Amino acid sequence: MNAHRSRRHFLRTGTALIALPMFESLGFRRFASAAPAPVAAARPKRMVFLGFGWGVTEQSWFPDVAQKGADYTLPSGLAPLARHKSDFTIVQGLVNKDVSGGHSGSTFWLTGANEFGEPGQSFHNTISVDQVAADTLGKETRFDSLILDCGAAANASGHGQGLSLSWDARGKPMSGPKTPVEAFHRLFAQDSTPIEAQKTMLRQRRSVLDNARESARELQRQLGKTDNAKLDEYFQGIRDIETRLSRDERWLGAPRPAPGLAEPQSSLAGYEEIELMYDIMIAALRTDSTRVLSYRQPVSTLLTSLDVRIDAHTMSHYLGKGPEYLEASEKRDRAQSELLAGFLDKLKATAEPDGSSLFDHTTVVYGSNIRTGHNLDSCPTLLAGRGAGLRLGHNLVVSKDTPLCNAWLTLLRGSGVAVERHGDSSGTIPLLLA
Amino acid sequence: MPTRVTLRLIYVSLLLFAAGVPAARAAETPAGAMTERHRVFLETNCLGCHGPEKQKGKFRVDELPLAMADLPTAERWQKILNALNSGEMPPEDETQPAPEAKANFLDDLSHAMVAARQRLGDQKGVIALRRLNRREYANTLRDLLGVHVDVSALPADTGGPNFDTVGANLFVNGNQFEIYEALAHEALEEAFNAATAAPTAKKFRHETEKTHPTFLKRNRDSLDAVDRANRWIKAVDDAAALPENAALVAKLREIAATDDALRYHWQKIPGAPSAKTFGFNAEAEANPAIIYRTRDRTEFVRYDEYYLQLPALDRGTYLTMPGGYGGTGFTADQGLAIPKDFAPGDYVVRICAGAAPGAPAERRYLEFGLKGFAGAGPGTPALSTHHLTGTIEAPDVIKIPFTFTRQSAERNHRNLFIRERGVLDGDRIQQQIRAAIARNGHGPDVAIWIDWIEIERVPVSPETMAPGLRALDLPLVAQAEDIPPAKLRGAFAQFAQEAFRGVPATDASLDRLVRLYDSRRASGGTHRDALKQALAAVLSSPRFLYRAEPEAGTARRSLDGLELATRLSYFLWGSPPDHTLRDLAAAGKLRQPEILATEADRLLDHPRSVHFVRPFLGQWLTLDRLDLFQFNRKLYPKFDDSVKSAARQEVYETFAALLRDNGRLGELLGADHVVINALLADYYGIPGVTGDAFRKVPLPAGSPRGGLLGMAAVMAMGSNGQHTNPVERGAWVLRKLLHEPPPPAPANVPELARLGAQLLTARERLHLHQQEPQCANCHRKIDPIGFGLENFDAVGQWRTTDTYQARDEAGKPLPNAQKTWTIDAGGALHKGPAFRDYFELRSIIAARQENFARGFASALIEYALGRPCGFSDEPLIASIVAQAGTKSFATRDFIHALIRSKEFSSK
Repeated sequence: MNAHRSRRHFLRTGTALIALPMFESLGFRRFASAAPAPVAAARPKRMVFLGFGWGVTEQSWFPDVAQKGADYTLPSGLAPLARHKSDFTIVQGLVNKDVSGGHSGSTFWLTGANEFGEPGQSFHNTISVDQVAADTLGKETRFDSLILDCGAAANASGHGQGLSLSWDARGKPMSGPKTPVEAFHRLFAQDSTPIEAQKTMLRQRRSVLDNARESARELQRQLGKTDNAKLDEYFQGIRDIETRLSRDERWLGAPRPAPGLAEPQSSLAGYEEIELMYDIMIAALRTDSTRVLSYRQPVSTLLTSLDVRIDAHTMSHYLGKGPEYLEASEKRDRAQSELLAGFLDKLKATAEPDGSSLFDHTTVVYGSNIRTGHNLDSCPTLLAGRGAGLRLGHNLVVSKDTPLCNAWLTLLRGSGVAVERHGDSSGTIPLLLA
Repeated sequence: MPTRVTLRLIYVSLLLFAAGVPAARAAETPAGAMTERHRVFLETNCLGCHGPEKQKGKFRVDELPLAMADLPTAERWQKILNALNSGEMPPEDETQPAPEAKANFLDDLSHAMVAARQRLGDQKGVIALRRLNRREYANTLRDLLGVHVDVSALPADTGGPNFDTVGANLFVNGNQFEIYEALAHEALEEAFNAATAAPTAKKFRHETEKTHPTFLKRNRDSLDAVDRANRWIKAVDDAAALPENAALVAKLREIAATDDALRYHWQKIPGAPSAKTFGFNAEAEANPAIIYRTRDRTEFVRYDEYYLQLPALDRGTYLTMPGGYGGTGFTADQGLAIPKDFAPGDYVVRICAGAAPGAPAERRYLEFGLKGFAGAGPGTPALSTHHLTGTIEAPDVIKIPFTFTRQSAERNHRNLFIRERGVLDGDRIQQQIRAAIARNGHGPDVAIWIDWIEIERVPVSPETMAPGLRALDLPLVAQAEDIPPAKLRGAFAQFAQEAFRGVPATDASLDRLVRLYDSRRASGGTHRDALKQALAAVLSSPRFLYRAEPEAGTARRSLDGLELATRLSYFLWGSPPDHTLRDLAAAGKLRQPEILATEADRLLDHPRSVHFVRPFLGQWLTLDRLDLFQFNRKLYPKFDDSVKSAARQEVYETFAALLRDNGRLGELLGADHVVINALLADYYGIPGVTGDAFRKVPLPAGSPRGGLLGMAAVMAMGSNGQHTNPVERGAWVLRKLLHEPPPPAPANVPELARLGAQLLTARERLHLHQQEPQCANCHRKIDPIGFGLENFDAVGQWRTTDTYQARDEAGKPLPNAQKTWTIDAGGALHKGPAFRDYFELRSIIAARQENFARGFASALIEYALGRPCGFSDEPLIASIVAQAGTKSFATRDFIHALIRSKEFSSK
């Protein structure tokens, strides 16, 4: 391996130096057969989770609860989605009842956990629904899931604690690419290292990981129980990388797919950044690089890119303030709806080998744990896609205090993920299903 | 300028994740428990439906224990809190509790809930294994290898409810191991390069007048073009004015009303010349609009004429205003391209500059920086701002240390820039230019003259070689003779011990390193590749990344010397212990109290203590809020990026001065001096301060400055960049100064309707908070303090009036609907003393310095020990405050008392 070159890869991607040149591919040729054979039968299910932190504008985003069903008036905040009206559903009344923090739009959104649920700990969380899905849906793809984030912009965007929307099986925060550039490289960076050299590198990677594990074991023997619980994260980190190495080994020689879009520019922020992330997500699905995606979207930089000078938190408390705050909040809603509409357009326009579209096999979840201001009841929830057998085109109002996790459970089962429960779920919601 | 006071209803800015630990609430409510008095409230208002008889929703209040001793009980109380806050209970058709009683109940319950959550989550002094956080990791690599690496690929570790030192929140996940490994390779590569580079001197000076020939040519061309345009226009007009053309022109006038329009038809007018004969091209000939545009640039002409008559152009240049403003615009940022053969490393940049004659005081500042992707424009913040005290005849030489990183070099970011302060970080430039033209006819006068800029490499000598490399003592080149295994192993041992902060590596781990090295060599890697591979393994191993404190059995034990040295140096330096500390530890001396205290003083006196002051203060006082929003530069032109940065620096420097002099902590609540530099002195209107260094400056009597409340940074973060935010300020004072933090913002409190069109003063607006008990229970404490600070505007300047402009639904100002009032800062603390104005409020707060001291002590405990400060720490807090109090809360004594404590020196 050419060390200099790999460093450049690292610098450009901001992710792992070793990872990229090592696992990335070789070009097409005869090695393509080494990849797992494409499944000819039913198209696989996909799930996409998009979280937008600071909620929405109460009076112009939610459809009238009196207009239940398919015949409802689209509110102005959702107007840019008009062309998809029969292809998405708004669900009202869902709640994460154990969440009490008015500034955490994403920390527990997909987990439903109780922050205080563990005695002797000041913070507690559990696995997020996307990771539950990834366990089943992620087996055959190069990446079991792709976790996308917006980096530093997340702090002022109402997401709360965490490194992304995703939390692992032990309730620890997970991280992933924070910019379109990183995401692009993670998925599509090409490498022309000969396959034998790649095998050698994989062997070396293993020995490096073995060494790290051995070093951790030496330390483990000296530490007490609490410290070892912490050190376990290090072991888990090594295990995760090993799992990925095994996956990479299976994919050795399979070329990275052509992304179908140009390498992103580095300086995008806000509206264009989200748009580009969406494009990369489409590309990830189209190339079947992964089947589960989560994206913690920026709000603060979105506002800046819309030329709104009000900070995101103040904007989220538009009530009782001047009209410019309400205007900012509604502008944000429309921009987010526009972006989502574009994403749905592309899902519909992307053909699957059997002639159907990506939209037919994907479930898109779009929302936040925060409704508006500090309100956590009736979390804004928009569901789209035909992947989970959902009833689309409806304004659904569920009975009061229905756990958000019931919706997640319904989507999981609908996507072929056989689980008993998720978070604080008490069952599925038949109303959501067609 | 219209200022609208934002009406923040309920709970607006009680940042949920505000750092800090609530005090145990005094008096009536024991921590995490309600009292019999509260039971009466429940019996009166809830028992009818939620008692033994009805048990609606399977919820009974009569069986509910008062003490929230376990999670299920806490959850049931949380339900009550939620139901009351959302207004769900009691139901609308039932008798409602009296507002005051409800507010009091909510007040107590929300605080009891915070206390219970804390008590139930108390780690009881257990410190979770601490990973180096991102900044400690960067500092550690820098100390070990002498290089700066960009660690932004790692999680920031900040932004949570605790300090970034708290072990429980420091995770390792996903590909983080690989990032550590990649950064280790990166750092080693850079360190090896630096160590093997020839120690030749590098120096380059740019004389700014060298840009003049290019500039002058452009300038002359521009003047010439205007002249040619005017001459062509005159020639056409002359032809049109000829008597024999009168009829023709009259006919043309029917379709071309103006002179400019008429000249489009020059070809039809006998005697009118082609523009080509005046040096214009065919395009301009066909489209005279191009010529008109040239003609209309007379402002540029005037500016250029002005610029060219300035003195000393043969020796230097002037910084001008940017913004597409004529030929001179390109001297808006002067600069220097770092020559290609200058390698990454430490440099010093010198700028020889002076103020132009008559330059006003506030414009005698220049900004220095490195151009990134966004050029020198708004996307590129300055690295530093400098005060010019010299003149053209006697210029200053400003000396700036500068680190040229590998990342910059690889991205080819080599252009250093200097520009006038504030000209590129706001949107007031066009405004200023127009105003200047109206005033003097040519545009903004120049303020800064630059003679030259130079950059020089800081020489690297064997003495300054980084300890990690010195410990290694191996060739660092690709091709090396075979190294005897014993030497290799010895080198690894030395390096690992250095990296592990003095703890030797195990034999087994050294064997593994040698194997890693050998296997890399065997697969064709060079000596250098294999060496980096092995050392990167050290730098991504848990011994390096975690500050391990092994445990013997279950009993608490004292730290050994090295562990203590490590704890001390990461506390006060954010960096690993140096050799002095390690030697004392090895000699068994560090655990002697007097030596430990001497060492603490040595660390605090060292420049590296900035790695304590900044992260500690920044997180404790939540200074990151300053970066949450953009300040409106149209409303506040003086609060530019340079001032914002200096304002933040004032907080650090003030605290650093207290630490240096062991001053009274209470000076942060009120002082007769400020610690400022020239830039801030200008901002505060304090005369007689020059230069960039922060120093103590006495205040005149009656000044609102002095102490945190008088600092621009503190007041600015209590705004949203446009308007003041009395709620944010009030809550901040309760949290940080009075140590009585309001509970987190409750969810689901109904928001009040919009009041945009009503003409009310800020106080009237906020008063609405107090009508609903759900709001009043916190806001009756927060709002009076916030209002007491209303004399500070959104950027911390003193004001006496405020204005509100009512607007319609569309956001348009309503006619005759503006209200201006004199600010009345008077009020009273909830159940506390009254104050007539800001000064009295400040005195009341300053008198409660013991609360402040307790808050400071809790913050120090959490920061230093790397775990939340809980109820079990009450005795420690009390002891620290008592020890510091014996010397009137001397700032350094807090740190000494904490370091002396058993908690600091035990596992």
